[in-house]
Amino acid sequence: MERETGSRREAVRQAAALWVVRLDDAACSAADRAAFEAWRDESHEHEAAFEREAAAWTRLERLRAMRPPAERPDRDLLAPERRPVLSRLGQSTWARGMAAAAVLALSVAGVTTFGGGTAYATAIGERRVVVLSDNSRIELNTDSKVLVRYRHGVREVRLVRGEAVFEAARDARPFVVRAQDAVIRADEVSELAVRLRGDGAAVTVKKGAVALDPQPAEPKDEMRLKAGVAAVYNSTGSRARAISEGEIDRVLAWRQGAIALNGQSLEQAAAEFNRYNRQQVRIVDPAIAGLRLAGYFQTTEPRSFVDAVTNAFPVKAWEDADGDIRLSRKG
Amino acid sequence: MAQEDDDRRAWFRREILPLEPDLLAYARQFCRDGQTDPEDLVHEAFARAIACKTWREVGNPGAFATRILRNCALDALRRRKVLTITAVADFDRIEPLDEAPSAHAVLESREELRLLADAIAELPTQCRRVFTLRKVYSLSPDEIAVRLGLSVSTVEKHLVKGLRYCSEKLGRRIGRKIRVDEGRSWSARRDHDAKR
Repeated sequence: MERETGSRREAVRQAAALWVVRLDDAACSAADRAAFEAWRDESHEHEAAFEREAAAWTRLERLRAMRPPAERPDRDLLAPERRPVLSRLGQSTWARGMAAAAVLALSVAGVTTFGGGTAYATAIGERRVVVLSDNSRIELNTDSKVLVRYRHGVREVRLVRGEAVFEAARDARPFVVRAQDAVIRADEVSELAVRLRGDGAAVTVKKGAVALDPQPAEPKDEMRLKAGVAAVYNSTGSRARAISEGEIDRVLAWRQGAIALNGQSLEQAAAEFNRYNRQQVRIVDPAIAGLRLAGYFQTTEPRSFVDAVTNAFPVKAWEDADGDIRLSRKG
Repeated sequence: MAQEDDDRRAWFRREILPLEPDLLAYARQFCRDGQTDPEDLVHEAFARAIACKTWREVGNPGAFATRILRNCALDALRRRKVLTITAVADFDRIEPLDEAPSAHAVLESREELRLLADAIAELPTQCRRVFTLRKVYSLSPDEIAVRLGLSVSTVEKHLVKGLRYCSEKLGRRIGRKIRVDEGRSWSARRDHDAKR
């Protein structure tokens, strides 16, 4: 039901954005303007949504400052691989030479290029979107690293550390993610999340379909994973199960900067927060490690998580000299 | 009357809209159990705020907006068939903000320009080209359609898509939230403010 309200919000904002675009066009007719007034008068929801999109459109006027003087319009001025032209805006070094990929994060730390490909990495608490030359996208979660190698015949990305979502765009070449020993191949437009765990990984397919081969060295059947399927594998084996859309949203809540808990233990929840923060949450009393939690928290706010736990359970929290938060049973 | 409406909308745009990232953070506190979308709460709060005919009497827009948001959250809670204990407990616990979320909401201008340029670089190729020609070079949709061999309605579609992407980014002020060191001290400070 909430999903419906979300799409309703999106529909209203889309309509508002279209009016903003139309009204800013000199070719906009009087009839169009009248139609707009009628639409806006329908509800304050429309009115507010229009103001919101119009304000963003106005703020985008600033982009005019980037226009180079006396030049023919260059439609690719803001293309990812062209970003070096913006260096005077404060960005220092951009990965050059590798036309295969370009980074779109705010900082360029953590991008390294070498003969074998380009590496993109995030620090603890950081998230980053990388758009590749074929419009495929990689969204890196906290403390993660990928190595991108686009070659003849194959688009290959290795997940070296952490977790990432891969959105494979349409292309003649297959999109291949390597994680530990496994090879995950998408032949069509697909969206999948991969998270390294121990000597294996968890793979969640949101869109499209992929083929997962946990042990390419061994002549075994590969697994076909459709949208809505999650698989885990490690050196001892692999299994897959269907999961609901809500469950996928929960797994990917980090893309909204959130951790969604749905019955996980306090121990698991603390481990989850610790991925995103230098300030660690430590459970010093095994008796409370198994408490079950539900809720939606911001990844970078372990404090509010701890507050919620101490409010709901007989748990006390204190900060030690090392800055970490410790939890134990109250009384 | 028309003038009055324009003034009211200008007030909304000037005083309420820039609070969006703060309101979203506040809204998240009511949505811990995952049953309500915090963005929907903000969307609804905006609709109620812009409807305020007595806007001239609003002394503290931040307190005004958070109060509305709290009411929206309460209404959402009432509409629910199943109440979770977390939701009700959260509601009792979260205080209305006395103080306005302060005006450091406004991005430093160079940073905003970079945020916008980054957002546009993240768009798909054709969409990015259309957007660049429109917003950087101020070409009209007609001119862009001719230049790129597209129909005007396709140009419009690309512009809408680009605008939506940028307005969501601005609303979430994603550029600051994600940054590690600066972002963290910043959000910690804001959080502190919010809890006072």
